[in-house]
Formats: sequence, C-alpha cells, structure tokens
Amino acid sequence: MDIYILQQLVNGLILGSMYALTAIGFSMIYGIVRLINFAHGDIAMIGAFVSFAAVSLAGAPLVVVLASVLVAGAMMGLLVEQVAFRPLRGAPQVNGFITSLAVSIMIQNLGILLLTAEPRSLSFPGYLSRRIPGLAINIDLLDVIIVALSLVLMAALMTVVNRTRLGMAMRATADNGVVASLMGININRTIMAAFAIGSALAGVAGLMFGARYGQIDPMMGFLPGLKAFVAAVIGGVGSIPGAMLGGYLLGFGEVLFVGLLPPEYASFRDAFVFGLLIVILLVMPNGLLGRSAEERA
Amino acid sequence: MLDLRGVAVWRGRTQVLHDIDLSVGAGELVALIGANGAGKTTALWTISGLLRPRAGSITLTPPSEAPVDLRRLKPDRIVGLGVAHCPEGRQVFRSLTVRENLLIGAHRRRDAAAVTADLDAIFDRFPILGERRGLWAGDLSGGEQMMLAIGRALMSRPRVLLLDEPSLGLAPQMVDAIADVLVGLVGDGMTVLLVEQNARLALDIAGRAYVLETGRVAVSGLAADLREDDAVRRAYLGVGRQAG
Repeated sequence: MDIYILQQLVNGLILGSMYALTAIGFSMIYGIVRLINFAHGDIAMIGAFVSFAAVSLAGAPLVVVLASVLVAGAMMGLLVEQVAFRPLRGAPQVNGFITSLAVSIMIQNLGILLLTAEPRSLSFPGYLSRRIPGLAINIDLLDVIIVALSLVLMAALMTVVNRTRLGMAMRATADNGVVASLMGININRTIMAAFAIGSALAGVAGLMFGARYGQIDPMMGFLPGLKAFVAAVIGGVGSIPGAMLGGYLLGFGEVLFVGLLPPEYASFRDAFVFGLLIVILLVMPNGLLGRSAEERA
Repeated sequence: MLDLRGVAVWRGRTQVLHDIDLSVGAGELVALIGANGAGKTTALWTISGLLRPRAGSITLTPPSEAPVDLRRLKPDRIVGLGVAHCPEGRQVFRSLTVRENLLIGAHRRRDAAAVTADLDAIFDRFPILGERRGLWAGDLSGGEQMMLAIGRALMSRPRVLLLDEPSLGLAPQMVDAIADVLVGLVGDGMTVLLVEQNARLALDIAGRAYVLETGRVAVSGLAADLREDDAVRRAYLGVGRQAG
C-alpha cells in the first residue's frame, strides 16, 4: 500500500479514537435519559484544561494526569446532571436539548471569563512527540498511547456494561426506565453513573485533542462535541458499540476526505462530516447499529 | 398483609381513584376487576410507588413484623420491602437475555448463592425459560414473555405479587397455563393481587375480589359470591338476566 495512504489511515485511526471516546458518552446519556447533551464536548474541553493544569503547571506524571482528567470529567458530568438536567426529568425532550445548549454556552463563557479566550499551548514531555524510529510512516509515542488507551477504556467500558450489576441496571434502565424502577433499580443512581462514566471518557478525549493539537482554549470542545454527536447518530444513538463504530468511521472518513482529494477541498471537511450524516440517515434512519422505535416499544 | 385505606389518587387534574379500601391477606389471591379505565392499573401503580396518593394510607404488614407505610417510598424501596409488580403488557427488557431479565428481578438482593438457586427454581417452574435462557427476551413469544415477567417478579422473593392483566393478548391455552401458574403460586403460599379485565378468569381462581367502577369500589366479597351476583354477571361476565 502507498505509504501516504497508510499514513492517512493511521491518522484516521487516531482521530477516530478521540471521536469514539466522546461519542460513547453521548450515546450512553441519550440511551438512559433520552437527552441530547450538547454540553458533552465542553466537558472534553474541561478535561483538556485539567490536563494542562496537571502537566504544565504541576508537572505531574502521565498516570496522574490521566487519573485527574477521569475524575474531573466524572465530577463535571455529575454536576451538570444535578444542576441542569435533573430538574427537567420528565419534561419534553426539546427542553433538555435546549438546556444542554445553554449549559454548553455557559461553560464556554465561564471558561473565557476565568481563563480568557487566548489559546494556551499544552506541552507534554518531549519524548512523547518524538517520531518512532524505523517506521516508514510518521507516528509518535503519543499517537500510540491515544489509540491504545482508547481501546483499553472501551474494553473496560464494555466489560462494565455487559458483565456487572451496574451495567445490567444501566441496560435495563435504557430499555424501560419505569419497569427498571419496579425491579428495584435506583434510577437516579443509574443516570448518575451514565453521566459520570460518559463524561469521564469525554474528559480523556479532551486530553487527547489537546495533546495532539498542542493548543487548548475554552471553545475547543464545540466542534469535536458536535462531530461526536454526528458519530453517535451515525452509529445509532443509544448504542455504545454504534458510537464506537461511528466514531472510527467518521475519523477515517474525515481524514481520507482531506487526504485524498485535492488540497482546495480540505476546508470543506466539516461539510463532508455533516453531509455524511445526512446520507447515512437517509439510507438508515436509525443509524448503523441503532434499533428502530418499534423495536424499542 | 397489604392494606389500602381511603386511598385517593389524582392524575393531573383528574381524580382517578376515590376512597379505595382494599386488603389482601397473607396467602390470598385477591382479584381487582373492572372495565377499561376504572382505575385498576392506577391502583397497582400507587401501591408500587409509581404514583403518589393524595389521601389515604397504604400499609404492608408482613407476618410477625411491624407494619410499614409505603405511601412516601420510591418504587425501588418498595420492591426491597417485598412488593413485586408484574406490569401490564409484560414489559420484559427486550434487549436483555432471558437470564439477565431474571437477574434484574433480583437486583436488590445480595445473597448471590440463593439468587442462583432461585434462578434454577424458576427454570424448574418454567422449563421453556430454561431452554431459552440465552435468547433476547424480545425474541420470545407473548406467552413466554408473560412467564418471564412473572419469573422476573418472583426473583425478588416477594411477599406480595402484584399482577397487571396477565391474560392480555394471549392465546386461550396460554391464558389457562398462566392461570395454572397463579394457582400454583398461591398453593405455595404466595400472596397475589391480580388485576384482570377477564373477570371470568379472575373470579375462577381468586378467593376474594373487588369490582372497581369509575375509580370506586362498587362491590367486593368472595369470588364465589360475585360469580353469582346478577349485576356483576351482567356487567362483567357477559351473562344476561334471562340466561342466568
């Protein structure tokens, strides 16, 4: 295979990993509370700033950075759920949707107020971004970590969802919340778990976006958040494997679109992403792995 | 075991239940019958904590234990106290396996070994569920889903089993099978409150029954007496005066 294409595929894998991690939280939260949470990408932004504080200010080792991003993401998810979304439980879906837009804008503006809109450079120790020698394509240690860590986190998540009591309670609640409560499942706790886990993964994705592009600012979560939403919808919103699939598909698609077409089309990459969404939804209205409304009933 | 006194329930601006008195003794099968919209399902939802009564009391008194007021508790707590609710339309978790549905029924229990033993007991009682334990519950037939819904409710080791319209939408021989299951459960000492539109079935297997009409208890008494009651026969058993 052409080395250039191989390089593009690797880039797609990296971008797809980050989209997938973000999309999972979207899908989990939608699956359980039927909420489209547009503030999800902003939690990724917070993850990026927490990693900035841990790396650039405190000089913490990578494991500590990762742990603090996971914790901060989970806490933010819980906070947003408690303050913004819990009071709306049972309200029409549109109310939650609009509230999430408001939460998103508030987080971004609070970020600008406290941190200024000035981009900051997020610099990890140099050995992470040194090209791995002996390979024809350009990969550094950070890329390997992003891909591997994403896979590990996704495998851990699938284990929790499919093999634990909590995971079974989450699947039952997503399937039929009222009946789940009749089985003795504490719905509030299950919803909190979905927000905490989904937001922790988004926080890690924010760390990855920041590390890979080297720059962070309070608005950085908006576009990746929107694209992760697209990925979740392409995969079938509510389905966790669907979110993963959608994330990788979108990552590959976006990178190959930019990489294989003449450079003058490169600025249309976002149009491509949303165009892809429209085409897939026209052909498969429930997304690739989503279940139809009738099956759900 | 379970006592409702003066229960009044509103849904939005409409009062659905008026001053309901109802009791279910330990080991009894009590039927709650009535037309569509009479408030039968609302009564079960209120006992389970899905709805809050505006007035009245709901008390659970397990044998030789102190009475518990259920009125302000959430559904998951009420299950923990021993009231299992098998909802209308079966409502199994379609995207979970048969075995997982049963385990969800035991969600609040911490006695893992006993849960496994109870799972085997359910597979003994309903062999078809044992054969299909690995299938998605959504792929079962209606009758199999009904058995799964009952099995799932039993997995919480309830003191009282609330059953909402178990015969709904099932083939006649499956209705008979479900009736046999209920009679068997009561024979084993279970306490059951059965909501049914199929009054004939309910009055055949119940010891006592209540008839709800537009949110009030119109008649109550021994099921055997209600089967002979002219008004009940005309309204719910489809039997005219001449024929009776």
